[in-house]
Amino acid sequence: MTNITADQKKKMYQRKRVTDDVMRMIFKSSAILASSMIFIIILFILQKGLMPFLPNYKYGQVDIIQFLFGTTWRQDSAIYGLGFIVINTLVSAFGALLISLPFSILTALFIAKIAPKKLAIFMKTIVELLASIPSVVYGVFAAGYIVTMVKNLGSMLNISTAGGSSLMAVIILLAIMIFPTMTSITITAIGAVPSDLEDASLALGATVTQTNFKVVLQSAKSGIFAGVILGLGRAFGEATAVSMIAGNKLYGPTTNLFDITRTLTSTMLAGLKETIGLDYDIRYSVGIVLMATILISNLLVNYVKKHVGSR
Amino acid sequence: MMKKRLFKDKVLNGLTFFTSGISVLVLFAIFFFIFQKGYSTLSLDMLSNNYWSVNYNLAIPESSQSVYTYPSIESGESFSSKYGIAFKDDFSPDKKALIVVSYVDPASPFKLLTDLSAGPNQGQVIPIQLGMNIEKIVYTNTLGVDRSAGVIFKQNASELVNILDTQATKLLSTYTQTEGGGIKGSLIATLYLILISLAIAMPLGIFSAIYLTEYAAKNKTSAFIRSSIELLTGVPSIIYGLMGMVVLYPITTLFKVSGPSVLLGGLTLSIILLPTIIRTTEEALKVVPEHFRSASLSLGANYSQTIFKVVLPSAVPGILTGILLSVGRVIGESAALIYTMGTFVNDSPSVTRGGTSLAVQIWSIMSGEQPNFALASAISIIILGIVLFINISIKLLARRFAKTW
Repeated sequence: MTNITADQKKKMYQRKRVTDDVMRMIFKSSAILASSMIFIIILFILQKGLMPFLPNYKYGQVDIIQFLFGTTWRQDSAIYGLGFIVINTLVSAFGALLISLPFSILTALFIAKIAPKKLAIFMKTIVELLASIPSVVYGVFAAGYIVTMVKNLGSMLNISTAGGSSLMAVIILLAIMIFPTMTSITITAIGAVPSDLEDASLALGATVTQTNFKVVLQSAKSGIFAGVILGLGRAFGEATAVSMIAGNKLYGPTTNLFDITRTLTSTMLAGLKETIGLDYDIRYSVGIVLMATILISNLLVNYVKKHVGSR
Repeated sequence: MMKKRLFKDKVLNGLTFFTSGISVLVLFAIFFFIFQKGYSTLSLDMLSNNYWSVNYNLAIPESSQSVYTYPSIESGESFSSKYGIAFKDDFSPDKKALIVVSYVDPASPFKLLTDLSAGPNQGQVIPIQLGMNIEKIVYTNTLGVDRSAGVIFKQNASELVNILDTQATKLLSTYTQTEGGGIKGSLIATLYLILISLAIAMPLGIFSAIYLTEYAAKNKTSAFIRSSIELLTGVPSIIYGLMGMVVLYPITTLFKVSGPSVLLGGLTLSIILLPTIIRTTEEALKVVPEHFRSASLSLGANYSQTIFKVVLPSAVPGILTGILLSVGRVIGESAALIYTMGTFVNDSPSVTRGGTSLAVQIWSIMSGEQPNFALASAISIIILGIVLFINISIKLLARRFAKTW
């Protein structure tokens, strides 16, 4: 054993303390940087997106009322009316939710409670695979398959469609895309329902199915609503797949299911050529509206969650 | 009463069975559609080819031999014994007829073609390659008149060979096109993207997760930090694209990069990956038992030593899961990259210039005037294959390392 003097011991200890403090600083600053990203995103997009509405904007001020409530969007003649696009986006997202939610809840119930174990594992894998398919691949599928389906349906009903690109195609596509998100969250929520509740229901003479539908689903409500919020977020924010089949209508809102439509995201992806000027900056304004739409819808869903279905 | 109840139960259970069946059907419909459309286009050539085809106007030298042989001629091929070259009929993705070179004799004059078009490459030898399309061949016929033959005169491979062997006394020049329709550039760019985004997101994400699990006190500040990071998951990727252009673009200009670039795309992706990496790492760190840390500390290691030598190695499988998930996200991401990398398919991408990832190339060829379904589906098959592989790996990882301490 080598003899270490008290002085050396103290120095070693101090060195360790210093590296410890430095590492701690690095860890802490990483966490602060990571958590500040969301504020940086919001701040910069707000700053850039609000610019066109200010009086001293260099490409000519845009009327904010006209922008928010207008019903025509023509970049070529500098008419920017986003109102109908917001309505179209809401219609397509909530339409998709309307179709997809019952499917997700029932499928989740099947996986979590009804299916035999092997089948449940198989079904869970199916849902996971659906969730992992990238949106462009969904887009290729939609542009090739869903669009043809809608076109054929239209010709059967004597309705002419723009090659099948339509509001209906967008709704079907989004319904498929948000299904895995909502299903997997509902599965987790159902799994978290305490078994005493089920036992109590069974002991009172309810059948297993009655218990599943009336007790389990009721208790998993808040999880289901969390899934709805995530699903809606995906439906609103989905860009590439939707832009392949939306058709980008110039005015609106679209009321006919077979008519082409235009969503906030497909608007943001249209005309990518510009890198400067009003057409470029206005995309940030559309981005703000998109984020606001998502936020307001979340608040709405939360409101519904608090006031509906609770006894 | 009881019977009615039983019937009702059966109907309700049947409903759940039905919806599950529909979801299986949808998944198989997607797989079936993509495979059916893309399978015939998928080939090794596609992986290594350029996307853009290049046109050449080339002079044909005198032939050194008068008779060539091609022993292993296949059906559908037509061989010109006078010039030692074989052609095949084919179709382009947009259903145009093509005459494709399928075999060239080593001594054939087609191996010694020279560039005719004016420019720095004039006179350079450009040997013909398999897979090139022959648009036309100019020849002198038996009457001494210059004539042309080829696919632009609606001739097929056997007609062209017939003209070459019987009517032509001398070949003058040929107008050819390289194959194109490949994804080499996008493959390389995707690889760059994975490297850049992981190089930034991994240390940042892992360090943040370490702070949150190992250091942060359970108070409002750390709850705030955690929920701010969690908020990032809800941001649509198209918003990340906008963010990249205003927040990260100035950073890339420090590296003398202007306009959309692979670097900018990678930086943007690294922000997108942060919440995933932080969450998976946090979960992995949380399950490392407390007595590991106590043992290390009591042996005299300090806190950072304990983290790097004891805690992190135990959390490797969880971190690996995060990396795999991130790779999947990078491969599938499109909207954010359309803004930050552009949509022009670049056959030789570099970090400082624009390009497309596989996903963006799909978007780029699908949103043009003439959507190229065959190529888009073929790329989709590749993406689906990678995603499937990643999913299976994550499952195996989870099973292999599901340790109970």
